[in-house]
Amino acid sequence: MLELEFMQRALIACTVIAAIAPLVGSFIVQRRQSLIGDGMGHMAFAGVGLALLTGIHPLIGALGLTVIAAVALVRMSKRQGGGDLSLALLFYGGISAGFLFAARSGGGQTAVVGLLFGSPLNLQWWEVAAITALAGVVLLITAVVYRQLLAMAFDEASAKVAGIPTQALTLILTLMVALIVVAGMTTIGLLLISAMMVVPIAAATQIAGSYRATLAIGSGIGALSAVLGLTLSYYGDFAPGAAIVVVAILCYLVTSTFALLTGRYHRRRA
Amino acid sequence: MLEFERVGFSYGRQPVLTGISLTIAAGEFIAVVGPNGAGKTTLVRLALGLIRPTDGAVRLFGTDSSRFRQWSSVGYVPQRANASSALPISVDEVVRSGLAGQLRPLARVSSTQRERIEHVLEVMGLQQVRRRRITQLSGGQQQRALIARALVTTPRLLFLDEPTTGVDAEAKTALRASLEHLVNIEGIAVVYISHDPAGFAGLAQRVLEVRDGQVLPVSGSAPVSSASHPGA
Repeated sequence: MLELEFMQRALIACTVIAAIAPLVGSFIVQRRQSLIGDGMGHMAFAGVGLALLTGIHPLIGALGLTVIAAVALVRMSKRQGGGDLSLALLFYGGISAGFLFAARSGGGQTAVVGLLFGSPLNLQWWEVAAITALAGVVLLITAVVYRQLLAMAFDEASAKVAGIPTQALTLILTLMVALIVVAGMTTIGLLLISAMMVVPIAAATQIAGSYRATLAIGSGIGALSAVLGLTLSYYGDFAPGAAIVVVAILCYLVTSTFALLTGRYHRRRA
Repeated sequence: MLEFERVGFSYGRQPVLTGISLTIAAGEFIAVVGPNGAGKTTLVRLALGLIRPTDGAVRLFGTDSSRFRQWSSVGYVPQRANASSALPISVDEVVRSGLAGQLRPLARVSSTQRERIEHVLEVMGLQQVRRRRITQLSGGQQQRALIARALVTTPRLLFLDEPTTGVDAEAKTALRASLEHLVNIEGIAVVYISHDPAGFAGLAQRVLEVRDGQVLPVSGSAPVSSASHPGA
């Protein structure tokens, strides 16, 4: 399997994105925004449709529209009760616009399906480089604002009182979600990349004793899921994106069973 | 240190607080009581600049709270952190996160800050549990971890919002001992919001009651400072 160049490209791209996605996912899970990745995925789909219509590269179209959506989402959610509504608007507006644009473009059916469910075996080296660069940017930003993100995840009001610019940080976090969605759309797929932000972290949360450990374990589970999922996909002829997510879910079942059996971290607030 | 000057606040057309004027001096311990929904937490949120008054002005250390930037001088302990109960964060990380507003990106914690972390962990009796997840601790220990987090920047003014909610008698005693240390040894001014007078009895120099949109001294409580002008 490893001697095949297309598998090498798929392995590198999927492992990189699956290892980085949980870092962002950890913060959105704690802020109870687990579905924001799905919302961004739908907007990326609209961006892909627009790209097909206008003849630009789907990656550029998706990146442009998700960044705009991230800014709009943060502005809309500042209104009281606006967070849920703005996410719903992203969901339905994005998916509808994506299909309309794609249908209008009169082609690219295969490309659309590939982006929805991931097609890592078709990646070119430049795409692997672009995905790695996007993931690298997300890793760098996470490292720079890690302490502030953690303080905000723990308690936003206290973070504000501590002088942390929570609105700017919320925008940064939403933009990172957009970058992960765009970087993950050709590998794991727009419909499933959100799962790789959430599931490895949910698995790590069961066994980790600290936030730092959660990030490390979540990232490791993401990478392991990518390698095992692609291997399963190669030998079992499964869809790669789906296989990766299924492995991540199995990891969650393993860690949650372990936590249940050992009684780890199942005591709640007194 | 903290000054309310004819402050009013409304949620939409519903007035919550009207014409509040009060001053809290350095080293004072003020308790604020009142029924649910009276506006106690609103008072704290106004003081911290989390919401803006619809009338009047709130000043922290002489600066309007909306322009105030020296947040290391102010500590805030929320009624309960809004984090998910499954947040995998250790006590050590909770306390260190109090420094997040002070540290530059990628900067290491200085030796002075490290000493302060050790000090607040010791004062709050958390050294033995610092590596444990905060969700594994009792309600009282969790509350002390939140206080330790607020103290790590060496604030001069500390706000505690219902610190004894959901904690047992033993934890209340431990919390009280920690507060005595803060007031008597460290000289920190405290604004203590609570339903439970046992938490601040003997510690509070003034007890104020929020009722019908006003802040009034509780009759029979410790002497009301001449600096206080409630219910203007």
